[in-house]
Amino acid sequence: MSDSMNFSNVKYFFLPTILLVSSLPLGLLANGSFALLAILLSGLSAFQTIRLLKRNGVRETEKVELDSFSCRNQIFSSVDQLSAGIAHEINNPLGIISQEIEWLRHILKKQEISSSVDRKDLDDCEDSLMEISRQVDRCNEIVQKLLSLARQVEPVIQEVEANDVVLSVLEIVNREARDFNINIVAQLDESLPPISTDPPLLRQAVLNLLVNARQAIERDGEICVSTRRTDSEFVEIEIRDNGCGISPENLNRVFTPFFSTKPEGKGSGLGLAICRGIIERLGGEITVESEFGKFTAFTIKLPVGKKKERSLFV
Amino acid sequence: MEKYRVLIIDDEEDFVETIVKRLRDRGLDAEGALSGPEGLQILENKDFDVIILDVKMPKMSGIETLREIKKKKPLVEVIMLTGHGSVESGIQGLQLGAFNYVMKPVPLDELLKQMNQAYERKLIEEERNH
Repeated sequence: MSDSMNFSNVKYFFLPTILLVSSLPLGLLANGSFALLAILLSGLSAFQTIRLLKRNGVRETEKVELDSFSCRNQIFSSVDQLSAGIAHEINNPLGIISQEIEWLRHILKKQEISSSVDRKDLDDCEDSLMEISRQVDRCNEIVQKLLSLARQVEPVIQEVEANDVVLSVLEIVNREARDFNINIVAQLDESLPPISTDPPLLRQAVLNLLVNARQAIERDGEICVSTRRTDSEFVEIEIRDNGCGISPENLNRVFTPFFSTKPEGKGSGLGLAICRGIIERLGGEITVESEFGKFTAFTIKLPVGKKKERSLFV
Repeated sequence: MEKYRVLIIDDEEDFVETIVKRLRDRGLDAEGALSGPEGLQILENKDFDVIILDVKMPKMSGIETLREIKKKKPLVEVIMLTGHGSVESGIQGLQLGAFNYVMKPVPLDELLKQMNQAYERKLIEEERNH
């Protein structure tokens, strides 16, 4: 779209420019004010055209941005509906499979007592049931994620300290990070005002980003979690890792549902889409910056809390 | 402090006894259960505002118990408490609707702060639903 816009505007630029350039020798040859006027008019025309061109360009860019924003919202809304539909449809068969597994286990236990059945066959059956059960758990996990993506519940907004939320999540990942020789550094601004947010939802988003950061490093590295105030309206939480980074061609797709660079079976591609859904529902925004092979930094921007008239626990 | 109702579900009997006593000393209506099924049984007969739930328990894990609690009483707020927590169970717990996932040992004042926030959240949700 922007290419055709530039092409169609070229003629508006060339015409007065040719006029201006051609009037220069005329102005030099002819004496009197006519030539000077011609030069001035041509100059003005060229100036005006450049202004029009710029304004037109800005409008086109705004249109492209609006189009992509509304298109993105429509896509995500459809994905949300689809996710909810799939999740509900899959949930029931999964429930039945789980119950049938339990029933088969019960039958196998009875068979164990009977000496006529081959012990090896029984063990094979048990192994097979265990594998089915594991795969059902995996499907259940995906269904939970789909429901998280689609869940349009209104957040429960409370005033909390952003640092408290960050610290509680760091506790969960600290031990596992140590096992992989990953150092987690917290640089928390102690002077932050409280934020208005849904604490469990925010914890879920931050935890997800920390898990991604750990996976990006794999082993031996550092995750830096920092909080800061940007202006009177917002605070920021940044999660930066020195892991594998994200390639430029993937960077603008990381929040797209079902997009994943992880090996098959390792990632559903829903984590970051859920994160963005959560943060946007909390009235904030999430951005990403990365250099392939060097670092990745996710920044969550959240609104500062509004003073409450009454608090239950003062 | 408002006198709200707290249920502690943990298979460590000493821990349950101690924390129930200390929460009652702080003016709360606290009760204890030593397993998931026992906790669910108590929930059949009495409503609670906040539940402190151990993650690692025999018979029925904390995650399974949380799933059942949320089915029966979706508005009750649950704080998962664990000595050997894993990131995976933390993610599962939060996804299933736990208010927080806290590592043991936790100072009582810190736990109370979390419980107060959880109770405040329950009141907001109740108000919204009425």
